[in-house]
Formats: sequence, structure tokens, C-alpha cells
Amino acid sequence: MSVSSIFLILVSSILVNNFILSRFLGICPFFGVSKQVETAFGMGMAVTFVMALASLLTYIIQHLILIPLKLEYLQTIAFILVIAALVQFVEMVIEKTSPTLYQSLGVYLPLITTNCAVLGLTLINIQMKFNLIEAVIHAIGAAIGFSLAIVLFAAIRERLELYDVPEVFKGFPIALITASLMSLAFLGFAGLV
Amino acid sequence: MRDIIKLGLILLIITSIAAFVLGITNDITQAIIVERAELENIEYIRALLPEAEDFVRVEDENVINSEEILQVYEGTKNGEIVGYTVKTNPQGYNGRIELLIGMSIDGKIVGVKVGEHTETPGLGSKIADGAFINQYTNKETVLEFSLTKDNPVKDADIQAITGATVSCEAANRGINRATQLFEDILKNR
Amino acid sequence: MKFGRIFSRGIVFDNPVYVQLLGMCPTLAVTNSAKNALGMGLATTAVLIGSNMVISLIKKLIPSRIRIPAFVVVIATFVTIVGMLMKAFLPDLDKALGIFIPLIVVNCLILARAESFASKQTVFPSAIDGAGMGLGFTIALVILGIVRELLGAGTIFGMTILGEFYQPARIMTQAPGAFLALGLLLALFNKITSKELNEL
Repeated sequence: MSVSSIFLILVSSILVNNFILSRFLGICPFFGVSKQVETAFGMGMAVTFVMALASLLTYIIQHLILIPLKLEYLQTIAFILVIAALVQFVEMVIEKTSPTLYQSLGVYLPLITTNCAVLGLTLINIQMKFNLIEAVIHAIGAAIGFSLAIVLFAAIRERLELYDVPEVFKGFPIALITASLMSLAFLGFAGLV
Repeated sequence: MRDIIKLGLILLIITSIAAFVLGITNDITQAIIVERAELENIEYIRALLPEAEDFVRVEDENVINSEEILQVYEGTKNGEIVGYTVKTNPQGYNGRIELLIGMSIDGKIVGVKVGEHTETPGLGSKIADGAFINQYTNKETVLEFSLTKDNPVKDADIQAITGATVSCEAANRGINRATQLFEDILKNR
Repeated sequence: MKFGRIFSRGIVFDNPVYVQLLGMCPTLAVTNSAKNALGMGLATTAVLIGSNMVISLIKKLIPSRIRIPAFVVVIATFVTIVGMLMKAFLPDLDKALGIFIPLIVVNCLILARAESFASKQTVFPSAIDGAGMGLGFTIALVILGIVRELLGAGTIFGMTILGEFYQPARIMTQAPGAFLALGLLLALFNKITSKELNEL
């Protein structure tokens, strides 16, 4: 496990294989909570937290329970339950320990269970045969990439509000076309390294 | 408290039924999946060692426990070993790269193929192109290959692809591991 | 409600993709060809029908507090079954769709139907609802798949439609093309439906 391979996983998960703009994971929150930069940032933070923990837990479950017992076919069901329980647990802990944090993150937490970026991440970790450290680094990279895309997108949408968009393009269509241009820009990172 | 236990129990029952149903489905489909995968595998490696007629998977622990080695097949013709195919998976720029290397028993690389990989399309993915990967064919397995940016001079020189250094290095490492395994163990089995 | 109406609702007026904007991840990710789009649509439909039926059957046994995790378990079971069957009998399609097969679990469309329809209705209407919504989803995906494949590769379902003279715009099969094509299709859908509403 060298520094360069850590760096590679980070760069590739943040920019080259950005979860939203290139892998299409986490599209719902990307469009749902990107009307304001502030909420987008809150969602990004909540997702970062859950992703890192979920990677850790699912790795342990996969390698200590599912593989030894030859129950790999229960992967999807086990992972989604872990994520759901984790989200619930994180919500409870934050509510008890830091009411201010809870107020800013609270509303996004339940949404994360059905955020396909989290389940997708844990499945990619297994598929790529990452070890524990690689998996957690990949999670952090993916979460930073997710937050980066969603915050940038929110900043664009805030300004877009002020412009006169043709009636049929209002709302979702123009948001998708904006996302298309962002995705095009991120495609430029494909040449990195 | 009793409520929580009751809720937990109900959820447990539902999950158990789900697991039971999945277990049955898995039993039925698993056999088909394994059989199909094995057939596909052999079909695939046949191209790398056309001389061989039958392939047997090598289960020897010394062989398959080597680093970044996934599978080894022994190719035979009329009961005699004619070569080996080795599958390696070095860590590339973005995930692992599957490589299949076919080597004849007299110490020559017969064919190299890039299997599943997630390298960047248009850059790292070029390692799968013949222009790069065919540089290895017909070379001797005793060589330790190294990448160069210029035109190759020595036999062991392999010209890297511009803009895909990491992917090329990974592929090169994978191939070196396979030839090394052949030289160290397989050849003398 | 008549079964016919339950069925047809999902296809146009409540189309999961073009109207409800649900299930965006697979919609964008697997529509790089018409064939993949069709495969994904049918796999989702199978899960929808199965999970809707089972949930409508067991709805009385599940206390409302653990409703969501119970639904998720049912959905995940059907997704895994569909995944295993695809691996065994349609391995190429399974490879093309990759992790988006297990990710059907978190397709908001399925949980939304469980919550808003199947948990309140009996088995038969729930099955019809699943079929209608699934078909609407499939049609939406296939339309997007056809547009992207035609522009990006000049083919539809692998058959060459646009001849030699057309230089395929590869970008349409990549990520930016997915967002662009769906954005334009949604605008078109808005245009058509708003016209219809005005005429009514």
C-alpha cells in the first residue's frame, strides 16, 4: 500500500470517475437538494460520514461473515440493511450529542438510505477487490467527489434562477442540461495521470 | 422494550424467509453459473495457447498463492504439457486489470490478452490494443520486461503508451509476474 | 378504480421517469444502448410486480414502525433473485448492466409504489400497478436508449440505421450525452403534455 496508489484512488474517485457525473450514482439528491449551496454542502457532509462508515462495516461483513459462510448471495440484502441501520444509528447519535449538527444535517440523513451512491460504493469496493484501507480511501474520495459535484451544481443553479429560461425547459430539463455541461467538463479529467 | 423485541422478531422472521428463498434460488442457479463461467474461461484461454487441446486448472497452493496471481491452467496435447496460461490482476490506474498470459513450455510468450478492467476509456484502455499488448508475443519468458518512452532497443524493452503510464506499468508488472511464476515454478513442475 | 386505468396510468400520465422523475440513476446509467435499456426496464418490472404482490399480501402483518426496512428486505430479495437468474441465463446483459442490477434495490420508484400503492391495496391491483409502472419505466428507458444509441453509434438494437454518411457522436453514449438527451426529452415531454392540457 504505497502513497502513490492512495493518491491514485483519490484522484480517480474524485475527478475521473466522479460518482455523480460519470458513474451516475446519487442522482436523486444531486437534483433534489441542489437548489442552494448551503443545503448541498450539508448533504455532502452527511453523505461523506455515512459512506466512510458504510465502507468499513460492509467490508467487515463481507470478509468476516459472508465469504467464510459462503453466503455471498445475501450481499445486497445484508448491505442495504447495514446502511439503513447505520443511517438510523448516526441520526440518533448526532441528535443526542450535537443538536446544532443535527439541525443542519438531520433532514438529509433519512434520505441517504435510498441514495444509491452509498450502496453503489460498497458494491464497487467489493467488485474492485479493494482492501480495507483502499476501501475507506475510496469512500472518502467518492464522498468528496459527490460533495464537489453537488456544491458546484447548486452554485450554478442559484444563478440560473435569475435567468429567463424558456417555459418548457424550466426546472428539471435545464438542470439536466447544466449537469450535461458539467459532466463534459469533468470528462476532461479523463486524461489525468 | 417488549415492543422493540416484538418488532425485531418480526423483522427477523421476514429476513429469514427472504434468506431461505434466496438460498434455494442460489442452489438452482449457482451450478449453471459456475458451469458457464468455466466453459467461457476455457474458450477464452484457448486463443492464448492454440497448441493445447485440453486444459486443467492448476490447484497447487505454491502456484496460486503467489501475489496477484488469480488462475493457472495447464494446457496439454496427447497427455503432454505444451504450456500454461496465467491470469493476473495488477492494480491499475483505476482498479485492477485482468491479464491473461499464455506461455509455451519452451519458454516463449504465445499470447497476451487484457480481460476485465476499468481503465480510463481512450487512454488507459489502450493497453488492450494490439499495438501495445502484442509487443510481448513471441518474446522469451526469461526476460524481465521494462517500459520505455522511446523506440524499443533491447528485447526486453516495451514501448509505453503516451498518457497511460500507470496503466502500462500495471500491465507490464502483471506480465512480469506471470513469466516469473513460469520460470520459478511452472516450468519445472 | 378500473384495472385498465391502474395499468395505463403508469405508462403516460404518471410515467415514473418523465413525470415523477423517479429512478434517475439507472435511467441515465444504462441507456447507452436500447438493448441495455430494455433489459434494465424488464428487470425492474419483474421486481416491481413481485415486491408489490408480496407487500400487499403481508401488509397486515407488518407494524408500521418497521414498514420501511421490511419493504426493503422484500425488494432486495426479488432483486437478488432477478440478479441470479440473469447471471445464469443472460450473462452478457448481466455484465453490461453490472452493479446497476443490485442497485435496483434503491430505485426510489419501487419503494414509492410499495409505500403509496401496494401497502394499501389487495394483491391483484398491486400486481397490475407494478406491471403498469414497470412498463412505463421500460418505455421511458428504451426511448432514451434508442435516442442515445442512434446518435452515438448510428444503430438501434445493434442494427445499423444511419449509414456510412453519419459520423456517430460518441459523446451521446457517454455521461454528458445521458444528461443532455434526458434533458431534451423531458423538455419535449413538457411541451407535448402542456399543449394537451391547454386543449382540454
